[in-house]
Amino acid sequence: MTRYGMVIDLDRCTGCRACMVACKVENNTPVANLWMYVFRFEEGTYPDVRVNFMPRPCMHCDNAPCVKVCPVGARFKRADGLVATDYERCIGCRYCEVACPYGVNFFNWKEPAKSQYLDGKDATVASVTGGAVPPYDNPDLDAPYGTERRRIAGGGQLKGVVEKCTFCVQRVEAGRLPACVTSCPVQALVFGDLDDPKSAASQRLESKRSFRLLEELGTRPRVHYVGGRPPTAESRQIEAVRAKV
Amino acid sequence: MAAHRIARAQPLPFGVGRITPGWSMIVAILLAGVLVGAFAYALQYTEGEVVTGMRDIGTMGGAPWGLYIAFVVYFVGVSFAGIAVAAIVRVLDLERLRPVARMGELLAVISLVLGALSILADVGQPLRAIVNLLRYARPQSPFFGTFTLVISGYLFASLVYLFLEGRRDAAILARTPGRLQWLHRLWASGYRDTPAERERHERASYWLALAILPLLVTAHSTLGFVFGLQAGRGGWFSTLQAPGFVVLAGVSGLGNLIVLAAILRWALRAKQVLDDTVFRWLANFLLALTIVYLYFLLVDWLTSTYAAPAADARLAAVVYTGEYAPVFWTSVAALVAAAALLFGQFARRRYSLALVVVAAVLVNVAAVGKRVVLVLPSQTHGALLPYVPGTYEPTLVEYGVLLGIFSLGALLLTLFMKVFPILEVGGHHAEVGS
Repeated sequence: MTRYGMVIDLDRCTGCRACMVACKVENNTPVANLWMYVFRFEEGTYPDVRVNFMPRPCMHCDNAPCVKVCPVGARFKRADGLVATDYERCIGCRYCEVACPYGVNFFNWKEPAKSQYLDGKDATVASVTGGAVPPYDNPDLDAPYGTERRRIAGGGQLKGVVEKCTFCVQRVEAGRLPACVTSCPVQALVFGDLDDPKSAASQRLESKRSFRLLEELGTRPRVHYVGGRPPTAESRQIEAVRAKV
Repeated sequence: MAAHRIARAQPLPFGVGRITPGWSMIVAILLAGVLVGAFAYALQYTEGEVVTGMRDIGTMGGAPWGLYIAFVVYFVGVSFAGIAVAAIVRVLDLERLRPVARMGELLAVISLVLGALSILADVGQPLRAIVNLLRYARPQSPFFGTFTLVISGYLFASLVYLFLEGRRDAAILARTPGRLQWLHRLWASGYRDTPAERERHERASYWLALAILPLLVTAHSTLGFVFGLQAGRGGWFSTLQAPGFVVLAGVSGLGNLIVLAAILRWALRAKQVLDDTVFRWLANFLLALTIVYLYFLLVDWLTSTYAAPAADARLAAVVYTGEYAPVFWTSVAALVAAAALLFGQFARRRYSLALVVVAAVLVNVAAVGKRVVLVLPSQTHGALLPYVPGTYEPTLVEYGVLLGIFSLGALLLTLFMKVFPILEVGGHHAEVGS
C-alpha cells in the first residue's frame, strides 16, 4: 500500500529557499508561517568554517507527538502516511505546537486575510488582480480530502487554528508532487511512496547513508535525509530568524 | 431536637441579605475589574491573539503558551485545597477544620470556573472548544484531564458536594421569611432534617467525599502530565511533574484558603467560629506540603544539573542562572521563607495569625512564579533543533483578561456571601449523634 514520504538530499541543497516560496504560493499561508523552512548553518571558527543547509518540512511522523496530544482529534494520521490537520475541528489550543520537537506548527494569530504579503485593498494591487482577495486564492485548498473527506488542505483558512505542512495533499491526491519538490532546481527533495522500493524516493534513500531528525525521540519521521549530517549543538544559524506576524 | 432548632425562626446569620456600603463598594470595584477583562478579551477575540505576547515556537521565536496557561495551572491548583479540606473533614471526621469546609468547597468551585475561563481565554476558537472538547474528547490527550475531566467531572462533583453539604443550612434559613427565602427553599429542595434524612445525607456526603479524593489526585496529576509526558522539548519530561503538581496545588490552595479564612474572620467578626485552632491546623498542613515541595525542588535541581542530557542541562542553566533565574529564585526564596515562618511557629507551639497569613501569601507568590518558570522556559529555550532562543513578554491585554478573571472570582465569592452563609450555621456535627 502507498505510504508517502520525503527524502531530502543535503549534498544537493544549495540553500536557495525556492521551496519556501513555492510553499507559500501554493498553500496561501499567512505572513510568518513558514511551513517549509531551510536552515542555513555554519559550524566551526574562522578560518575553519563550514556552511550547510537543511530544509525542514513537517516530518509527518509515524509516531507523531502532535497526534497523540490533540484533545479533539483534529490532528490525525492518515493511512497513506500524511499527518493532517482538520481546520474545521481544531480549537486552537496549540498543544500540538508545544509537543512537536521540530517546530513545524503555526497558529493563525490574526485574521488570515489581514495577514497576507499583498494587501488586496491597495489600489495598485487591486488594479492588477481585479479586486480578488487574496489574489492567489486556490479553490483546491477548500475541498475535502482523503477517505475521511475532511478539510485539511491549505493555509490561512481561519483565525485561531493551527496549520502546518500537508505534503500538499491537494496536489498529491491529484497525482502531482508537492510544490516544494517541483520547485527545487537541483532535485534535492524527492517525494514518493516509501513502501515501493522502485519509487524515486526509495531509490534515493537507498543510494546514500541516511538519517532522520531527532530519531532518538522515537517519533519515526517519514522525512529522511541523505548525505550531509544532522545539525549538532555547534550548529549556528547564519541569520537569526524571528519572523514577525 | 434538631427539628426544633429549625422551627425557631432566626435572623439570617453572617450578614446574609444585608447590603452594606462597604460591600457595595467592593462589588463596584470588582465589577470594574470584570469590565476591564471583558474589554481586553473583546479586543483579543476580534483582533485575534496577535494582541497577546504569545507567538509560535521555532522561526517565530516565541512561546505559544503564556500567562493564560500558567494561570490555568494556578487556578486548578487552588481548587485542590478547597475540596481536599472539605473532603478530609468528612472522611477523617476532622471536626476542627469544619468551619472552613464550606468556604473550601466554594473556593474549589470558583477556582475551577476561573481555570476553565483561562483555558477559553487561551484557545483560538473558544466557542468551538466548548463543544469539541466534549464532543470529540480524546482521553489519550493529557489535555483531556485538564479540561474535559477537571471541568466536567471535578467541577460537577464539587458542585454536588457543595449543594449536599449546604442543604441543611438552607433548610434552616428557609424558615426565615424574606427576599432570599425562595433561594434557600430551592437549595434545601425538600430537606427537612429528619433523623432518617440526615443519616442518608451523611452517608451520601461521605461516599461522595471518598470518591472526590482520588478524582482530586487524578485531576492534578493529569495537569502535570500535560508537561511531564512531553519529551519533545528540554526540561519537561519528568516523572516528578505529576506529584509535583499535586503538592504545589495543595500549597497554593491552602495558602488561598488561609487568606480567605482570615479575611472572613475579620469581615464577619467570626473570631469564635474561625478560631486559632483552625489556623493552626491549616498552617501545619501547609507546612508539611511546603516541605515536601521543597524536597521535590531539590531532587529536580540535582537531576537536572548533575549529568542531565544536553537539552535538559541547557534548560536548567536558563532557569537557575539565566533569563528565568530572578523568577525562579524569588519563588524558592518565598517558599523557604514561608516554610521557616511556619516551622518557627510549629516548633514553639505558638501561632500568630498575621505570620500564618504572611506565609500563605508568600506561598501563593511562589506558586505563580513557579508555574511561570514551569510553562515558559521549555518553550523559549527548550528547542532541540538549532532555532534561536525565543522570547515572551505578556501584553496589557493578557494582564487585563487575567485581572477580569480574578475579579470575577472575587465577585462570585462576594455575591455568594450575601445570599448564603459562608460559614456553617447549623452546628451540624455535634447533633448527629443525638
